[in-house]
Amino acid sequence: MNVFVLIIEKIVAFGETLARKHRLLPWVLAYIALLPLPYILASLFSEYLINLANRACLFILLAVGLNIVKGFCGQVTVGHIGLYAIGAVTSAILALEPGSFGDTWGFGLSVWVAIPIAVLVTALAGVIVGLPSVRLEGAYLALATLGLGESVRIMIAVTPQLGSSTGLMMIPPPTIGSFVFESFTSYYYLVMTTAVIGIYFSFSILRSATGRAFQAIREDTIAASVNGINVVKYKLLAFVLSAVYAGLAGALFAHMPPGYLHHNNFTIIEMVTLLLMVVLGGIGNVWGGVIGAIVVTIAYDQTKDLVFYFMDRPIIIQPIVFGLSMVLLVLFMPRGIGGWIEGFQRNRRFIKQSEERLDGTA
Amino acid sequence: MNIMKSTFASLLVGGVALASTAAFAGDIRVGITMRMVSENGQKYGQMMMDEIKAINDSGGINGNMIKATLMNDECKSDKGVANANKLIFQEKVHMLIGSTCSSVSLPIVDVTAKAGVAQLIPHSTNAKITQKGSEWVFRVPVSGRYYGGVNAKYVGDNIGKKIAYICAADAASVNDCAAMQGQIKKQFGAEPAYIANVQEKEVDFRSHMQKIKSMNVDGIMVAALAETMARALMQSYEAGIGADVRRIGSSSASNAPVPRIAGDAVKGVFFTAAYAAADQRPIAKLFNAMVKEKYGIHAPDHDFSQAYDLVRIMEQALKSTDLGLDSASLKADRTAIRDAIAGVKNYEGLASGPISFCAAPTPQCRDGNRTAVLIGYTKGGENFETEVLARVTMPIEFGLE
Amino acid sequence: MDFDYNSLMAFIIFGVTIGVVYGIVALGISLIYSGLDIVHFAHGEMYMFGAFFGLVLANNVGLPYPVALIGAMILTAILGMFVERVFYRRLTSAGGGYTVAGMGMIICGFGMSVALVNVAYFIWGAEAEPFRANLDYIPRLQFAGDIEVPESYVLTAVISVVLMAALHYFLRHTKMGLAVRAVAHNKDIAYLMGINVPLMISLIFGLSCALAAAAGVLIGPMQSVQVEMGYLMLMKAFAAAVVGGFGSLPGAILGGIMVGIFENLGAAYISPSHKDIYAFLLLILVLMFRPSGLFGIEAKVKA
Repeated sequence: MNVFVLIIEKIVAFGETLARKHRLLPWVLAYIALLPLPYILASLFSEYLINLANRACLFILLAVGLNIVKGFCGQVTVGHIGLYAIGAVTSAILALEPGSFGDTWGFGLSVWVAIPIAVLVTALAGVIVGLPSVRLEGAYLALATLGLGESVRIMIAVTPQLGSSTGLMMIPPPTIGSFVFESFTSYYYLVMTTAVIGIYFSFSILRSATGRAFQAIREDTIAASVNGINVVKYKLLAFVLSAVYAGLAGALFAHMPPGYLHHNNFTIIEMVTLLLMVVLGGIGNVWGGVIGAIVVTIAYDQTKDLVFYFMDRPIIIQPIVFGLSMVLLVLFMPRGIGGWIEGFQRNRRFIKQSEERLDGTA
Repeated sequence: MNIMKSTFASLLVGGVALASTAAFAGDIRVGITMRMVSENGQKYGQMMMDEIKAINDSGGINGNMIKATLMNDECKSDKGVANANKLIFQEKVHMLIGSTCSSVSLPIVDVTAKAGVAQLIPHSTNAKITQKGSEWVFRVPVSGRYYGGVNAKYVGDNIGKKIAYICAADAASVNDCAAMQGQIKKQFGAEPAYIANVQEKEVDFRSHMQKIKSMNVDGIMVAALAETMARALMQSYEAGIGADVRRIGSSSASNAPVPRIAGDAVKGVFFTAAYAAADQRPIAKLFNAMVKEKYGIHAPDHDFSQAYDLVRIMEQALKSTDLGLDSASLKADRTAIRDAIAGVKNYEGLASGPISFCAAPTPQCRDGNRTAVLIGYTKGGENFETEVLARVTMPIEFGLE
Repeated sequence: MDFDYNSLMAFIIFGVTIGVVYGIVALGISLIYSGLDIVHFAHGEMYMFGAFFGLVLANNVGLPYPVALIGAMILTAILGMFVERVFYRRLTSAGGGYTVAGMGMIICGFGMSVALVNVAYFIWGAEAEPFRANLDYIPRLQFAGDIEVPESYVLTAVISVVLMAALHYFLRHTKMGLAVRAVAHNKDIAYLMGINVPLMISLIFGLSCALAAAAGVLIGPMQSVQVEMGYLMLMKAFAAAVVGGFGSLPGAILGGIMVGIFENLGAAYISPSHKDIYAFLLLILVLMFRPSGLFGIEAKVKA
């Protein structure tokens, strides 16, 4: 375990030295390091893992976005999957030809136009989802956002123009000229780039005045407003920012081959999985969200079909384990992996400082 | 701390496991993705695996063993697509079986078409599945477009033209409802008397039944998944709608929970399906007995018969080809299997009629079974009973305009 | 869409009959909230387990329906107390609020819900089970004209009233009820007064789970029993609790009735396919404009 953490610390220290040269340098390097990943995965294991990586990137976007409103700003929202749905369905409808299959709407726009419009629409929806937060807190806000999120899903499920029960199919993938983003690898570059940019921006938000306002609101809303922070504006802003992430993730999901959306891609189970990622990573910790998304996606994929036989009856253990691990995480590791790492770092810093003091070098 | 350790450890183990699923020469790899957590889902999944094992035990396919991988997709399209991708790209299967839910089969058609892997569908009735122009998909069950016609004709001829509809929001029921309405209109020129689009798991139909009661309809069609349908049937009687108003079921009326839950309310309900447990043929009786003994199923519905027929068709097709079965011949093997399945003509098994495929990527070629059976319930409850009312073979172009 | 009073009466009666069931579950949720200051997101699963326990007792063991009802209530209460003691205790004693513990309870509830549903899948499978109940001794009512109210609905209404009365009596006129109210009011002072607070917490939890179980057993004959029945009931019960006011017990039942009527009227006159949205709509509207509901004592609202 110690070796593991030491390696991470070395990488972080390296990143910091680079950052002193130019702010973006470590990011660019990390991006370059990630570029050959599809080829490594395909030759070591199989192409399937690239698809897994793509899905992990989408969840990274979702988790990082959720962290902005939930972690930075402290607003309890359980309707995030509804925003994801809005982004996905909007982008799909904008890009499909009208009446392609049944009654569905369609506008036949280019995917590169559809995605930004979808993100905009989702941002607006984020304002609506955020409105209850102006007056409510805690469990009340959770209920309101849950109701909104579920209502979105039901609307999709019963409206034929939005796909209803057959779903939206043959959603076109993005194209540049004659190049179509339809292989796992090509889509990887699309989503990975977006995810890296998303993580970077999340840090920018965290370190900006806006981020500080968010955290002030999280810690003590009344004190924050007394200090001149427009609480309503910043709460809504937090929701809108997280909605942008969700809308982007949704749109990218919609256009990912095979380009099919169905309302049961957006149920409470998906919301709970997203919550698990954020909680596992540590609420409020950006890298925690990333790690949580990756760990949960991989763990989920690997354990999905594990079956134990108990008295001749097969149990699919994975959902039970997932549910219980959420409960146990909240009880015993409420700060998640991110919090654990922070604690470890704090300890090491303390030890280092104490040693320096003893040596007389401090 | 422990969670960190165990996650890391599982990642390591997972990595090793991934690396070791390299293609093994000599085995025919079949991937199955279906909904396991459902009434009977787990049982007929198990039946397929048992049948495959039986094939292996009696010598396999020309000496090669079938290695089948069964995965659960929970009737969710994203999981089904993930399963299909995993089976095709990681397990490198030679052919795919899936799925049992229309909303999962629909996107998988695109995946298999792009990757070039034959897909045998065990139980999805949505007509659009075979209308996408894929060369790789084969449908063993009867397509929804046939069911509507058979049902409508029987209804119009024997019951009347003023029909009320309760349509649930799941893919199969939406299809069945639309097909029925369209067919009644086409064959008899009658518009629906009442249409209620309810949610998939609706529990309360009383407001609809109240309205229907005042309309004096000839029949009520309930298109929904099993337990929802049972509820609607029970509540139709509770609302006081007499038995002279016939209840018509969609294809999910064949699932056992319907008569079990609805009890007496299921008497007289009829529906179209691809297999009747009341079938008098010796092959059907043998099958019923086997299923009862091995899996505890009282009277198997067409989910079971189609799964069984599928395995037999697969066996027949596989035995008729010559496969290289090493990593170099993967693409050629997959194509050969597809062509072999396309060559299946007039397969006679448990299904209501003969199953034939051909090579063109059209619904005419890929909807294998075009014979529907009209089945009526004579007794409800745990030991329900049915009778065969009619058996109709539809023209191959039916429902395609 | 002709407007006839007969139909309207029918829809209102339907709304009331299903609404009282929402109310009973909402009673449990309100009880947990007023006693422990937390919102229990796994309550729907208690309802579901209650229904299954009742089913097993009535159909498999062969007990008469009323005995099965009480048996299911006891068994579910034990299950609830077990879950609370083993899993929730660390959070319930810390109290709710907006601390990590507060948000934690919400997340914990979701996780518990997923786990419980899958345990139920393992035990009973995913099939819907019919709940045969011998209710011949209950009269079937007929309202003006031809609105029939089947026996199971009559029984539900009667039992709901009985349960409410029993709960009221327990809380107001027994010593243990007094202790429960004291703990609900202020845990620390109650502790100082010598009340066994952890025991009271468990008791409150057990009581609400028993209520949810009763609702499940009552619904069983009407709608069949299935592992996934909890989630939707949870939403409706939340709506009921919010409308009536969190923490108010008569409010829970009245809120339930209002939700039931609202969604039935919406389904009848606006659109049946959007039925579940009406309950959510009501929930959100009430939360936005009158979060304390009809009778709510307090609401965590920020100016």
